[in-house]
Amino acid sequence: MKTSPDETQIVRWLDGEMDAAESAAFEKEVAAHPERRAEMESMKKLGATLRASVPASREVPHADFFNSQIQVRIAQEEMDAERSRPRSKAGVFSWLRIPMFATAAALIAIAGLLWMQRGSGSGSVILSSYVPNPGVQARTFHDDEANATVIILDGLAEYPADKSIAGHRVHHSETDTAVATTTLFSEDGGVLLVLAKDARNQPRVLSHSPRG
Amino acid sequence: MKRTRLHFLTATLLALAPVCAAQQPATDKGFSATAEIVKAATDGQVWGALIFASSAAEAKAVKTGDLPKELEDLPKRLGKVFDFKSFELMGQHTQQIFREYESWVVPSKDLFLKVDSKGPAEGGGMNLHLQFWQEQQVLLKTDAVLRAGSPLFIGGPKWRGGQLVFVLMLKKGNDQ
Repeated sequence: MKTSPDETQIVRWLDGEMDAAESAAFEKEVAAHPERRAEMESMKKLGATLRASVPASREVPHADFFNSQIQVRIAQEEMDAERSRPRSKAGVFSWLRIPMFATAAALIAIAGLLWMQRGSGSGSVILSSYVPNPGVQARTFHDDEANATVIILDGLAEYPADKSIAGHRVHHSETDTAVATTTLFSEDGGVLLVLAKDARNQPRVLSHSPRG
Repeated sequence: MKRTRLHFLTATLLALAPVCAAQQPATDKGFSATAEIVKAATDGQVWGALIFASSAAEAKAVKTGDLPKELEDLPKRLGKVFDFKSFELMGQHTQQIFREYESWVVPSKDLFLKVDSKGPAEGGGMNLHLQFWQEQQVLLKTDAVLRAGSPLFIGGPKWRGGQLVFVLMLKKGNDQ
């Protein structure tokens, strides 16, 4: 018996996180479940309504209080864990171990702080990254010699050699926020392409003039 | 049926684009298609490029004159990170970062980037949410602080014995 797609799959489909094959299989699966089609349409409408009425980002109310409460909670849990831990017999050098560990931890913390300060002052920084495809890994690092921040996506499917990859020299672009389209123009004023959104709020390239 | 509708939409947009351009000619700063576009607040400007890194004998190298002044040494910098001999500039696009709307950096229809501004960063630069798209599929979502002079390199898919690399740089003058 086949199972119908769950909400996670619907969200992944809506967010454009499926590759072409997975997306096609998903759509075929949904076609076999009319009730799921209705659910997807409902989620699409909900998404559109939320995007239209909710700001993209919002400050956490009383953030300082929120953070302090989290820290208090973490401290309490650490103390509880410490109390429940069985006491080991103190060795001759056990008194020495604690300061050594403390010193090592402090040195690591200082080194980390210096590294972070160095990173925050000059170069670009990656704060977080997410790769929807579980077969792909993102490696992030800063290359000092290139003075560049680098993300390498390992495990991506290779493009077939016969695929034509076209680039544009965009002279200027115009964005119509009312209909969420971006039109790219060449130096001679010709339209290179129009990027619009489909019903799932995913980008669609509507026209394209290959160059080079 | 779906294809017919898409063609109709494409034709309509293509037909309307020159009319809009004729009514309100482009300025040096670009955005002038409608009054609403002019009003859209921006948080800076980014330069995005699609680079083909390759070691093939027939590979075309980037011409320095094609690059922004602050990144004239881009091939040298790319060479420090990617083990290829030649770096070809396939496409480039300078785009305003809208404060309240998403911005798209599209040097190629195959690989492009969505940029959402999260405002100025402490210590300079911009807080950005980036989405790296391969046609209809999002490959990567990331939050980053971008600073002028320090580009972001995204090592993308392999192709024809080389690799496609997306470069994103915050333009100078926007690093607060």
